[in-house]
Amino acid sequence: MAASVWVFHPRLLSIPPSCISSSSSSNHRIHIRTRIRIICGISNSGISKGTQQLKQQFMNSISKFRHQLVTSPPILPLMNGSKLPIWVCVAVVVLVAAFRVVLSITRRKERPGSVADLVRRGQLRSDRRGISRPLKYEDPFNNPLVKVGKTNSTVEMCGKVYRLAPVTLTQEQQTIHQKRRSRAYQWKRPTIFLKEGDSVPPDVDPDTVRWIPANHPFATTATDLDEDLAQNNVHQKHGVPFRIQAEHEALQRKLEALQNEQKLNKLVIDPTSAKEFERPFNSNARLNDHVEKSSSNNQHQASDSHSPKLDSSPNHFQIASSSPPEEDPSL
Amino acid sequence: MLSTHFLSGATNAKPPLFPATTAFSPLIDPRPKPYPITALLQWNRKPQLSGETPRVVVVTSGKGGVGKTTTTANMGLSLARLGFSVVAIDADVGLRNLDLLLGLENRVNYTVVEVLNGDCRLDQALVRDKRWSNFELLCISKPRSKLPLGFGGKALIWLVDALKSRSEGSPDFILIDCPAGIDAGFITAITPANEAVLITTPDITSLRDADRVTGLLECDGIRDIKMIVNRVRTDMIKGEDMMSVLDVQEMLGLPLLGVIPEDTEVIRSTNRGYPLVLNKPPTLAGLAFEQAAWRLVEQDSMQAVVVEEEPKRGFFSFFGG
Repeated sequence: MAASVWVFHPRLLSIPPSCISSSSSSNHRIHIRTRIRIICGISNSGISKGTQQLKQQFMNSISKFRHQLVTSPPILPLMNGSKLPIWVCVAVVVLVAAFRVVLSITRRKERPGSVADLVRRGQLRSDRRGISRPLKYEDPFNNPLVKVGKTNSTVEMCGKVYRLAPVTLTQEQQTIHQKRRSRAYQWKRPTIFLKEGDSVPPDVDPDTVRWIPANHPFATTATDLDEDLAQNNVHQKHGVPFRIQAEHEALQRKLEALQNEQKLNKLVIDPTSAKEFERPFNSNARLNDHVEKSSSNNQHQASDSHSPKLDSSPNHFQIASSSPPEEDPSL
Repeated sequence: MLSTHFLSGATNAKPPLFPATTAFSPLIDPRPKPYPITALLQWNRKPQLSGETPRVVVVTSGKGGVGKTTTTANMGLSLARLGFSVVAIDADVGLRNLDLLLGLENRVNYTVVEVLNGDCRLDQALVRDKRWSNFELLCISKPRSKLPLGFGGKALIWLVDALKSRSEGSPDFILIDCPAGIDAGFITAITPANEAVLITTPDITSLRDADRVTGLLECDGIRDIKMIVNRVRTDMIKGEDMMSVLDVQEMLGLPLLGVIPEDTEVIRSTNRGYPLVLNKPPTLAGLAFEQAAWRLVEQDSMQAVVVEEEPKRGFFSFFGG
């Protein structure tokens, strides 16, 4: 099939004004119109009889077109010879092009990945650019980024328009789903946690037992805490926490016992140095060991000799505890 | 993927605005809507808190990685921004992350385990957010410590009671970030809750777990369950590569609290320790979280969801503009 290319030569439209005068004869017009050449390019590939017919048809149509041009009333002479319409057309084209450029520039700002978009999304710091606005709205449904369309069927969010569809879930459907789930999942919340290998207590429903592996990484069934005590701890609002106070009191008692045994009446606990007695962290047993060891050392020292330095020093406890073990004859 | 908020106000007990359709093709509904959506915006007002305070809400999902912690952080801070006092409890015993999302990890010195032991008081274990002072974080344990399960659930009930009787007043919301799975941590987390927010993504694995968890919650007596569909992509829904929100709702039969679009900002905010809802200007996902928080306050649910992005049409589209 032959491909035809119609080429219109616009340069041939540059008609001298003298030729378009109202007094010009029809012969002139014919001459002008016949100068409008329409070139019919036919590819050389498939020249056959069919193409010959086609060519003949084209020639006929061209002759018809020429005839129409000749018989049609002249338009250009009605323009009184001015170039105004051409200039109007040119101006409109320029205006449209300019408007499109402006439009594309404004839309480019909204494109994802642009600087304005990055700033809007918080990926770039906007405080130095002077184009940021503080978050002034308090209502998430009423802010510059959420606009509902006039028909309430669309919503514009962050510059994109979304179509809305109603939620169709009814109460009946919810109830049907609830019934389905209640049939499918029979469950009781476990009330007792047992290690694997433990025996189930007799008064406990086996369904409410949750078995915890012995090597569970962060759950343990063993509890050394008293339940009432833990509850009191949670509800405690003021004062020293229970365990801190208990350890402090235990230490105090130890010291008092030490004082009584050694009859060191001058010994007082200096509040500034008392910090040194504080438990490092969760080392109650270790502290007790310290205290016992120190008291035994003290006892030993007291039996050996009374040092006036020990009597006067408020840090006597620590000094005593740090006494070298070589002094102990039993070691 | 947000919705407008309806003045119709509240509660699931009200009759739905739209009649149910049995043959529903929710991916992209090509049918003309029989009734126009009569949504009205709520102008210039704060959300009205409904229900008894403190509202104890557990944020759960069953499946891991669907956005429970992100939702807890963002909704918690949204509620705080709206003027409500919030205590967020990270009940994920072994794998806590809420402190990281909130950027408070360096301020967690004491946890519930220390409170139970008597090493500190409850008010010392509560970490107050400096950005919004009516938001407090409470972690249940340190990553390497073991929680005695004997009274894990009881401990949370005591905590709620203790928070109720605080001298500065009861918090309006107690959000509990539930761990994944239905193990002991889940049981601990749901014990004190009165209502639940179920997080799911529009994929079948998440939906199956969500359905099971919903069943367990209902067995446990928690009836007020609403869902948030997270990580929704309208482009994939349009290409029928992802279930639509209405599909998900049809499968689970739960009222919608919110729909959160997939947003890369979520990852950035997680890494920065700065929740999305505090971003200026806000992101799409942040807006969705805020709207979900608003609905949570009013015990409302979504009446309309966005299904797809509308193609742009303009005068110059004819010219390729």
